Parts: sequence; structure tokens; C-alpha cells
Amino acid sequence: MFEQQLINGLTLGMIYALIAVGYTMVYGVIQLINFAHGEIFMLSAFLAVTFITVFGLPIYVVIVLTMGCCALIGVMLDIFAYRPLRQSPRLAALITAIGMSIFLQNLAMIIWGSRPKPFVQDALPAFLRTTALTVGDANISWLQMSIFGTASMLMIALFLIINKTRVGTAMRALSQNRTGAALMGINVNRVISFTFALGSAMGAVAGIMVAIYYNTLYPTMGYVAGVKAFAAAVLGGIGSVPGAMIGGIVLGIAEALGAGYISSLYRDGIAYAVMIAVIIFRPSGILGKSTVEKV
Amino acid sequence: MNILDIDSLTMRFGGLLALADVSFHVARGEILGLIGPNGAGKSTMFNCISGVLRPTEGDMLFEKDGKLMRINGYKPEKMTHFGVARTFQNVRLFSALTVLDNVRIGRHCRTKANFFGAVLRTRSQKEEEQRIVDESMNWLKFVDLEKFVFNTAGSLSYGFQRKLEIARSLATEPRLLLLDEPAAGMNPKETKSLIDLIHKISDLGVTVILIEHDMKLVMSICRRLVVLDHGIKIAEGGPREIRANPKVIEAYLGRGAADA
Amino acid sequence: MNPNLKTTLKYLLLAAVFVYPLFSFANEYVLHVMVLIMIYMVLAMGLNIIPGFCGLLDLGYVGFYGIGAYTAGLLTIHFGLSFWVIVPLAALNGAIWGVLLGAPTLRLTGDYFAIVTFGFSELVVLFLTNEIWLTRGPLGLPGIDPVIIDFSWLSTLIHPQWDWYWEFIGPQPYFYLGLFLVALVYVIMGRMEDSRLGRAWFAIREDSIAASSCGVNLLTYKVIGFAISAAIGAVAGAFLARWTMFLSPDMFKFWESFLILCMVVLGGLGNFKGSLVGAAILIALGEVLRIILPALNLPTETRFLAYGMIMVLMMRFKPMGFFPAIATQSRKNPILIKLKKDLGSS
Repeated sequence: MFEQQLINGLTLGMIYALIAVGYTMVYGVIQLINFAHGEIFMLSAFLAVTFITVFGLPIYVVIVLTMGCCALIGVMLDIFAYRPLRQSPRLAALITAIGMSIFLQNLAMIIWGSRPKPFVQDALPAFLRTTALTVGDANISWLQMSIFGTASMLMIALFLIINKTRVGTAMRALSQNRTGAALMGINVNRVISFTFALGSAMGAVAGIMVAIYYNTLYPTMGYVAGVKAFAAAVLGGIGSVPGAMIGGIVLGIAEALGAGYISSLYRDGIAYAVMIAVIIFRPSGILGKSTVEKV
Repeated sequence: MNILDIDSLTMRFGGLLALADVSFHVARGEILGLIGPNGAGKSTMFNCISGVLRPTEGDMLFEKDGKLMRINGYKPEKMTHFGVARTFQNVRLFSALTVLDNVRIGRHCRTKANFFGAVLRTRSQKEEEQRIVDESMNWLKFVDLEKFVFNTAGSLSYGFQRKLEIARSLATEPRLLLLDEPAAGMNPKETKSLIDLIHKISDLGVTVILIEHDMKLVMSICRRLVVLDHGIKIAEGGPREIRANPKVIEAYLGRGAADA
Repeated sequence: MNPNLKTTLKYLLLAAVFVYPLFSFANEYVLHVMVLIMIYMVLAMGLNIIPGFCGLLDLGYVGFYGIGAYTAGLLTIHFGLSFWVIVPLAALNGAIWGVLLGAPTLRLTGDYFAIVTFGFSELVVLFLTNEIWLTRGPLGLPGIDPVIIDFSWLSTLIHPQWDWYWEFIGPQPYFYLGLFLVALVYVIMGRMEDSRLGRAWFAIREDSIAASSCGVNLLTYKVIGFAISAAIGAVAGAFLARWTMFLSPDMFKFWESFLILCMVVLGGLGNFKGSLVGAAILIALGEVLRIILPALNLPTETRFLAYGMIMVLMMRFKPMGFFPAIATQSRKNPILIKLKKDLGSS
């Protein structure tokens, strides 16, 4: 029982981490909670299913294609909704973010209907549902294994992009000091767009994973997962990419264990409670900098 | 009697030493100039005194009821209450509010009406509101802005905004006023009237510390100057001494200038 | 338009609304919608304190609405308390939760505050759904008494045959009670806005560093604002409980918070009079869309598509709403009117 919960929690946590990095990177460069990030995650699940059912594309192609589409949506979101408000008070940008989130969610509802749909199982290799290995009492399916694998690979890739590439360096510079970065000749808007693209692509993979893992997708899925992932980002320390990864995994495990041992009714509540507690008692999170308002 | 004693004040930001072991005192009623090149730590000093920053080491002592009191770690609103007011290097006004409202907010710390007073419109609340308006008007007249009472603060010209900020800080009834580059961006005429204004403030018995880059202005109003460079106090004294001090010349003009 | 004419029109409209329920042609449905609008007017005014006056995003306002509603519902069912006792208790309970949530979190940047309020309201819904022993969970809380005005104790003292006892039946009495509530909150908002308290909030919104250097204690004033806003939300909830006589956790989902926020944005951040217009427009629009959308074969929830777009466009093009409140707030203040006159004459 315990091992199984732990494995389930870890799977979930990997997915949260993938979404959380999107929040945390965007927050790092423009200090905005991109509430619409959860909707990109949701859109990715629907786009993937559409690509499979309408165009009959194989799943691997679909994943790459969906990542691209979501990256594009993320960039457009920034260009059309957030960029015009860069100089406005923060409140305006936050309200826009929440407005975009609701807009995209309802757009999905109009396009695909509000009822939950199953994922297209035929598109998936059959072995995914079989057990890969058994640890103690816990069975780990190939699906879970591939979630671990894919998520880990993406995380490593992300880490390399941020730390070893020019654009990654520019992102880090931007999160330190935007004006300074601009003065050093960094094209700020391009770097911000890249950040949105990168975060959205990560979220896209997470969206497909969740849709496959729970075999369901619905227009409001982004809203709960989004808030939980944000909680993970806060837990890890907002603005810190490794923090978001750790936060996601910790939150996923806490949620699975909490649902298993405390009360499954409060499953979603655990994430919110953890988030509120972290914000109150340790707002800098596990790895973050202090965020108490500078006066 | 000193109104402020700064004793071995040190302020560190991570690895950066913004103020290193700075000591000076401010006598009651004087106009002290705090000068130094950019990045010398002048504004950091103001931020420490006004409670925006908490210094890493050292003491700040402020005169209260005839005694010197340690003020390290008090919040800005508390410092305002003790009688320290300030202006900011880049004007910080409530720009969407009227000129009058800006000054009325300055009265906040000397007034009391709370939620119940506001909602019930008690007699004492009404009287207080009347007093707030009267006093605010006095301060606006003091800085010659009574023509703009109902304009929004953001619509004023830059020089007037600076004056409004001074009126707002005076409305808090300070005993020590910190002016952070009040003449920056002003034309000569505005600077002239600013000098008169600072003298008028001093005549009220308010002690003034002035950060300023306009040397002519500083030298003409301040009897005494403190010079900072890279967080270190390099000189202190009257305008003439400071002007002749090789360290100061070096700090401003670079090494070698003093010898030439 | 001539300002006098405008005022006259405004009062005529108000009078028309006031007498409408008395006519025989008054439609039950229209009255129902009007009462609903009034509840949202109260909510939108109350919420406006946080984003409008203090400049902070509150995404969990519905949590306080829910707390107020269930406080009222449970107190009515279990203790049979009168509405007039319940309203202050609900307000108090809302304010207490506002302080408990606000005090530790309002120190932080506005973004964190926004997300905490969201988490809080979700927790409220989860609590209402899962603590079945108290709230009956998803089944809801039926059988709440309507509002009762009971002066029978007084009337029998005066004359044994008199019975001053009225139970609110049908929409008319709620209409007037709602109108009273809106007027009450309106007056409170106006007085707060034009006071030392309101100015402290505006100062925080405009520039918190300058505000604190004027002696405004940022945390205290934000918490006061949050508590008052929460209390107003709870009062609206108490009214809802005694009006619909049935509560369920579904009535307090995030959508409601969003809707109220949208009203505030539409009417103008910081302009509580605009919130009245925002509430009226969006509730009316909602009712219209409720009819149109099914005809187009769309789920009724999709009306939020329009609301989402409204918010994005408002922030982009009219961030202060259609009726910006800047600097015009205290036009009715006698002290300022006199000051203006004095300045004009000199």
C-alpha cells in the first residue's frame, strides 16, 4: 500500500514538476503568475487527441507537434495579452492572466464540449498498461516508467538549456535585472517569448501525460492541475527551476500519501493547504529567494 | 544637542558593502549636506534612517523627548511617527490622487479617525477632517501650490511634484527632514525657489539633511557637509574645507586631479 | 448632458425601480433577477475594496460569501436566530476569517496574496462539500427560514389583538430588503472612501513605499481592508441564505469569484459606484446568455468566454473602467465644497 502510494505520488509529482517549471520560469523573467499556463496544459491534451483522431498521426509525432503548437500558443499569449501591459501596474497583468485563463478554458468548452472524454487508447502501444517491475507490494507500469523517463529527460534538457546556452544565460540575466539585461544588449522581448515557449512546451508534455495516465480529458482539467503546479512552484521557491522540480515531486507524494492515509475527500485540499502553509511560513520556498515585499 | 547620531553604521547587501562604519552627527536645527559621487551610499543612508532598510551593524540614535533613542529596526511608519520624514530620489507621489489628497495622506500619522469614525461620521471625525484640510492647505500655501489643490498630482510639472512631495513630508510634522536630491531635474528658477523653501523649512525649526549633486546649491545652504564615497565617510566639515579637501576632489574627479 | 438633467434622470430611474414591484404587472422573474443583481452589487462593492482601493488581487472573494451564507443558514436552522441578529454575526465571522487569512499573507507580494485567496476559497468549498455532519455536503442545506420581521412582543404589549409579525414571502419584500442592503453598503463605501481610512488605502495602492513613509502601517490597513471586504461578502451571503432558503457548496465555486471580479473591473477598479453598473450589466447579460447559449447548442458556462474577454480588453484599453473615479471621489464632501468656494472667491 505505502509503496504503491509513493510510486503513484512520484508519477504525479513528475507531472506537476513539468507544469511548475512553466510557472516558475515565467515568474522569473516577468514576475507574473501566468494563470493561463494551466489552460495551455489542458489545450495540449485536447490538441493531442484531435491530432490523433482527425489526422491519424502516430503518438510520438503528436507529442512533438503538440509541444510546438503549445509553445506557439504560449508565445502568442504573451505577445497579445501580457506584452502590452509590461509597464502597467501588476494588478492589471494579473487580472489579464486570469481573464485569459477563463477565456481559453471556455474556448475549449465550445470547441470540444464540456463533458470528459477518454484518451484515444488505440493510439498508444499496448505494453504501456502492463507492469514493468514490482517493488515490494507496488507495481510500476510501463506507463509510469515512461512518464518518469520522459519527465527526467525533459528536466535535464531544460537544465542544460538554462545553464549552458546563450538564451538560457539571457533568461537568467533577465530574472536578475531586466533593465540591466536590456542595457547589455539582450533582446528582452525575444527572451521572454522563448521562456513562454519553453514553459508551454513542458506543460504540453504534462498535459498529454495526464490525459493518458488518467485516461480522461476535460476543459477544466487545467484549472486544478494549474493551481497545484503553482503550489509546487511556490513550495520549491518561485523563480527557481530546480525548486519547481523538487516542489512538484514533494507535492505529488504529499498528495498521494495524504489521500491514502488522511482523507481522499480532501485530495485537492492538500495541495492548497500545503501552498498556503508554505506561503505563510516560508514564502521563499525550499530553494527560492525571499519574496517579502521590499519597502 | 544632537537630533541624530549615526554611530559606526554598516549596511551590507549580500557581498556588497553599501555603508562601511560611517559615523556622524546632526545638530538640532542645522542643514547638513550629505554628498558624494553616485553609488556612494547616500540614499542607502537615508533608507536606513527612515526605516526602509535595517542596517547590518552600528547604531542610529534619534532624539526623542530630550533623550537619544536607538532607532535601528523601526519600520518607516514608526520613524515617521517619531518625527523623521523624507522625500525620494525619484519622486514618489500618489499620482492618481489630487494634490490635496497627497498632503492629507501626509497627515495620516498625526490623526486618529478609524473605520467607525468614518462610517458613523462622528463629531470628532468631522472636526478632524476639517483640521486635516486646513493644515494641508497651510502646507500647500507654504510651498506655493495652493493653485493646484484639486489637480491630480501626476499632472503637475516635475518641479511642482518635488515641492508637493516636500509639502507631503512636512505635513507629517517632522523634526528631521531628509531631502533626497530635491533639485534634480529643476531649472535654475525652480532651484532658486527651492533654496528659499529649504531656508523657510529650516526657519520652522526642522532639521534638514540634504542629499544633492548641485554643488552650488549645497555649498550655499549647508554650513556643514558629510562626504561619502563607496560607503565610507571620507570627509566632514564646512563648505570651504570640503572644497579644499584632496580626498573629496579625488573622489569626484578621480585620482591625480588633487595633485594637479 | 446637462448635469441637472442627468441627476433628475438618475433619480427618476431610481424611483421607477423603487416602485416597480408595487405594480400588478411586475414580473416575478424580473424581480428575482433584480434581487440577484442587488446581491451582486453588494458583493462587487465589497470586493472593490481589495483590488480597487488597495490594489491587490483577491481571487477568493466567494469564500467569504460562502462563509456568510452557511453561517446564516446554520444559525437559522439550529438556533432559529433572527435575520437581524444573524447579519452582524455573519459579518463578524467573515471579518474574523479575513483577518486570519490576511494577517499572515498580506505581508507578501500581491501575487502570493492572490493565489492564497484562491486556495482559501477552494478549501472553503471542499469543507462545505465534505463536512457532511455540519453542512450536509453536496446535498445542500434546505429548509432555511425566510426573513421574518417580528415585533409581536411589542404589539401585544400595546394592544393584545395586534400582531406585528411579517414573514417574507415572494420577491417583493426581498426586493426592498435588498435595496436597503445595497443602500447601506453604498453609504458605508462612500464614507470609507472619503476618510482617513480610504486615503490610506489609496496611498497603499498608488505607492506603498511612499505610503509607509507617510506613516501608514501597510499591513494593518491592508488587513482592515480585507476584513471589511470579507464582512460585506458575508453579509451578502447571509441575505442569500435567507432569500433562497437553500444552500449548496456549488453556489460558491471559483466562477463566482471571477464573475464578481469581472463586475468590479467593468465598473472600474476603485470606483464602487461603477461596481453597481458592472453588477447590473453582467447579471442581466448572464440571464440573456442563459437563453441564447442553449439555443446555439452551447453549454451555459461558456458565457464566461465573454467575461474573460471583457477583463482582458478592459485591462488593455480601459484599466480604470468606463467611469474612472480618480480624484473625483470627494465631490460631495462639504469641507471640500467649501474649500473650493473659498479658493474660487479669493
